[in-house]
Amino acid sequence: MVIQYKCPNCGSDMAFDAESGKLSCPNCGRQDNIETFPEENIERKLDPEEAKEYHCENCGAVILTEAETTATHCSFCGAPVVLADRLTGDLAPAKVIPFTISKEEAVAAFREWTKNGRLTPRGFMSGDRIKKMTGMYVPFWLYDIDGTAEVAAIGTRVRNYQRGDTIYTETDFYDVYRAIDLSYLKVPADASEKMDDELMDKLEPYDYRELKDFRMPYLAGFLAEKYDYDDEALFSRVESKIVPYIDSYIHTTISGYSTVSYTNKQIQANKKNVYYTLFPVWMVYYDFENKEHTFAMNGQTGKVVGKPPISGGKVAAWFTGIAASTFVALKAVAYAMGGVLW
Amino acid sequence: MLFFMMLTGGVAVSAADQHIYDQADLLTEAEESELEALAAEYSQQHESDFLFLTTPSTDGVPVMTYMGDFFDGWAVENGQEDAVLLTIDMGSREVFLAGFGTAETTLDNSRVDMVLDRIMPYMRIGDYGGAFRETVTTASRYMEFRPGANPESIFFKTWFQLAVSLVLGGVIVGSMVLNAGGRVTTTSRTYFDGNNTRVTSERDRFRNKTVTRRRIPKKNNSGGGFGGGGMTGGGRSFSGGGRGF
Repeated sequence: MVIQYKCPNCGSDMAFDAESGKLSCPNCGRQDNIETFPEENIERKLDPEEAKEYHCENCGAVILTEAETTATHCSFCGAPVVLADRLTGDLAPAKVIPFTISKEEAVAAFREWTKNGRLTPRGFMSGDRIKKMTGMYVPFWLYDIDGTAEVAAIGTRVRNYQRGDTIYTETDFYDVYRAIDLSYLKVPADASEKMDDELMDKLEPYDYRELKDFRMPYLAGFLAEKYDYDDEALFSRVESKIVPYIDSYIHTTISGYSTVSYTNKQIQANKKNVYYTLFPVWMVYYDFENKEHTFAMNGQTGKVVGKPPISGGKVAAWFTGIAASTFVALKAVAYAMGGVLW
Repeated sequence: MLFFMMLTGGVAVSAADQHIYDQADLLTEAEESELEALAAEYSQQHESDFLFLTTPSTDGVPVMTYMGDFFDGWAVENGQEDAVLLTIDMGSREVFLAGFGTAETTLDNSRVDMVLDRIMPYMRIGDYGGAFRETVTTASRYMEFRPGANPESIFFKTWFQLAVSLVLGGVIVGSMVLNAGGRVTTTSRTYFDGNNTRVTSERDRFRNKTVTRRRIPKKNNSGGGFGGGGMTGGGRSFSGGGRGF
C-alpha cells in the first residue's frame, strides 16, 4: 500500500523532515505535526510493485505472492485464489480467452507430441517425465492498427526477341506509385517479462472467436500474471512484427512487372485500439537427462512449442537417408533421361 | 577347337586386328603399340572399332572423301560396319571424326562436335597420340548415353547429383532441427483486415524504353568446322565433323 500525505495548502506531496521531526512541504514551506495531520489529506493506494499478504478463505493461511501474480493457489490447501485488487482499474484485463484444454487433455496431447519428435532421443519420446504442468493466463496486448503506406518504385517489363543473328532485349521502364490504407486487427504481443517472446510468438494464432469479456471466475484454478510492459512499450515490437506483412501486401498491389525496385517506401502505423487480454498457456516442465526442458502449449488450440533435445544420431541418420535416397532418385531420373548409372 | 570358337562367338570381340594406321608417321613405336592396346580394349567393350588414320597428304581429295574411301576398304576387309574413325590429314592440317554403323547414332554429329572440342587442344600442340587417346575415352563415354541425350549435361554428372543430394539433405534436416520446437504459423493474412485495407491511389506511368542488341556468336571451331554427316563412295552413311588445326 502506498500512502501519500498531501499539503493542505497547495496539494503537493509532503515529506518527513528529519531536522524538525515534522511533515514538511517542499513547495510552500508549511510544516505539520504527524499526529495531528488531517485524515482527509492522507491518500492510500495500492503499490503495484509491492508483494502483498492475502489470507486463504478456506484455511486461513497467509498467501505471499509476487507483485505480478493476479491468480494463484493456496500453498497449504491448494484452493484457487484470485487477487481481485490486482485486477482492477488499469490492471483489469478487457478480454480473456478461456482454457478449452483441460489438464488431462494437455498431458495426453503433450505425450503424443513427444512421440512425434523425429529428431528427439528415444528416452525423451516416452513422454512420462513431466515434472510439472501449470495452467496460466499470460498477459498480452492486442493492437488494432490503422496505417498508411506510400511507395514509389521503378518497374520494368522486359521482352526478348530474335531477328536474324541478333537477339534484342527491349526494356520498358515505369514509374510506379501506390498509396494504401492499411488495417490489422488484434495483433498480439506478450506483456510478461518472464515469458520468452519467441515461444509466445510460436503459440499463435489464437482463435479470436473465443475471445470473451473479462470475468474473474475464468481465472479460478489457474495462475495469472499481470503485465510488466504497457501497450506503449510494446508497440515498437508489434510494428516490427507487421512490417513484413505490410511489405508482402504492398508487393501484391504491384504486378505485371519483370522487376520492381523501390525508390521510396514510407509506412506509418498507428494504434487504433488496444486490448489488455489474457491468453491461456499450459507450461510444461519436463525432466530429461538431468536437465529441465520448458515447453508451452496453447491452452486453446493445443499447439506445443519449445526446444526439445536433439539426438545427433537421428540427425545423422535422417541426413544420410535423405541424401542417399535423393542421390538414388537423381541417378534413376538421369538414367531414364538417357544417362548412365555411373 | 570348335568348343573354343563357340566360347568366343558369344563374346563381343573386335573384328579388326589393327586399329592404328599411322601413314603420316606421327607416332613413336611405343606410342603406337600403347594406342593399339587402348583401341582394342575399348573396341571390345563397344562392339564398335576405334580407328586412327593419319596421312601426310590426301593429294587434293577432301579429307571427308579420303576418310570415306578408307573406311569402305577397311569395312570390306574386316567384315565390320560399326566404327569410330579419327582421320588426320597433315597436308591440309585438318582432322575429321566419323561414326559408322551403330556409332552413327551413338556418336551423332553434336557428340562428334563435343569430342572435337576436347581434342583440339592436343591437335594444336602436336600431341596426336593424346588426341586419339582423348577421342577413344570421350567417345566411348558418350556412346553409353542414349541417343539424343547431352552427355555433357550437368544433370548427368555424378558430382552434381551428389552435391544436390547433400544440399537437399542438409536443408531438409536443418529445417527439421529448426522446426523441432515448433514454428511460427501466423502469416500475413492472420491479422489482416481486408474490409479496411485498400489501395487509395495508384499510378503506373511509362518513363522510357531501352533496347540492347546482342549478336549470336558464331561457333568458333578454331580453324573452322566443316563436314557433318554424309555418305561414303561405297554407300555407307556416317555422322561426323571436322576442324582445321
